[in-house]
Amino acid sequence: MALNPMEQFSIKPLVAEPLFSIAGHPIYFTNQALLMIMVALASSLFLILSVKRNRLVPTRGQSMSEMSYEFVANMIHSTTGEDGLKFFPFVFTLFMFVLCSNFFGMVPGSFTVTSQIAVTLALASLVILVVIVTGIAKHGWRFIMLFIPKAPIYILPLLFLIELISFCSRPISLSVRLFANMLAGHTLLAVFAGFVVSLGAAGGIYTGLAIAPLLLMIGIMLLELLVAFLQAYVFAILTCIYLNEALHLHDHH
Amino acid sequence: MQEHGATAETTEVPHKEGGFPPFDTTSFPSQFFWLAITFAFLFTMVWRVAGPRINSAITNRRGAINGAIAEAGKARADAEAAQAKYELALTKARTNANALAEETRTRLNAEIAKAKADADAKAHEAMAAADARITATRESAKQAVTAAARDAAIAIVERLTGDKVSADDAAKALGN
Repeated sequence: MALNPMEQFSIKPLVAEPLFSIAGHPIYFTNQALLMIMVALASSLFLILSVKRNRLVPTRGQSMSEMSYEFVANMIHSTTGEDGLKFFPFVFTLFMFVLCSNFFGMVPGSFTVTSQIAVTLALASLVILVVIVTGIAKHGWRFIMLFIPKAPIYILPLLFLIELISFCSRPISLSVRLFANMLAGHTLLAVFAGFVVSLGAAGGIYTGLAIAPLLLMIGIMLLELLVAFLQAYVFAILTCIYLNEALHLHDHH
Repeated sequence: MQEHGATAETTEVPHKEGGFPPFDTTSFPSQFFWLAITFAFLFTMVWRVAGPRINSAITNRRGAINGAIAEAGKARADAEAAQAKYELALTKARTNANALAEETRTRLNAEIAKAKADADAKAHEAMAAADARITATRESAKQAVTAAARDAAIAIVERLTGDKVSADDAAKALGN
């Protein structure tokens, strides 16, 4: 019996043959690809179909769509101000993608897209890329001021170095935070599920004892649901904060 | 971050197995590819369709609510204006009624006073006329008495003395 808690994170092709290859790298249709397609389709279809423009009293679905819309809009507005709202589609997409990936991953037997460092690192790199492009487009060479805080001149080189390192570590911290949270939660769940199975199969008094890890699993499951939302929120709000710095440098917050 | 258990797993996978699955770089091209496709799809949908749709739904509702509030405010202002108008009319009517009542009272009082004065005057007149009549009657009675006394005196004197006394003398003698 496959009770390896890491098994759930392995990416398996659903079609044995690669679809095609890009620069010599074979592209497979994998379990992760299926989940990503489901996430993108489900969230876009839900956001579109649940909403009717002239519905004065929203249905449950429309309320959820509008709530997530306003949640992200308020998040951007409170962290970056009015001019950050042009990034709304980007931040909203990030939020919905991460949130739905996290929640879809909570379904037993499915796959957690965000438990892959490749995915989170790609998303975080995209965020940093957008931040850098925005900063340079808005401020030109003055974007370098992001690394030069107001301080006495003699410690500026040191501060510049620290700011630069802190900026460069952002994609790593942003991606590892999401990746590690998802990975840890799902590993923990799998470990406890393994306990339940092996205790249940052991027979005798051990079968009764299997209830303990099962109850614990339910608790962790609830906690993971919270983490799934929280990590999507953290990812989105950190994106907003980074965008704010790119838009306003150190002028105001 | 090597995981021991993962080494002996699932041999049907064409990827190189073993180690920690998320760090298996052979799967990265597929991951990046599908992530790019799905993220771009979701972004386009959110940017072009869902975002504007939800935004206009929220804006429509806000507009409808604000319109309804404005309408309610207008209705309320109208009602208040109508009430003010009603109260003004009421006050005016009350003032008119009071003035009319006052005027009527004054007029009636005047009429009553006039009627009383008339009645008084008539009574005085009647009284004066009665007084005059009494006085006249008394006067004529007195004259009649005087005349009777004179005649009597004349008759007495004539009887006693046989003299004819003139009426004037007799009257003088009687001290009248």
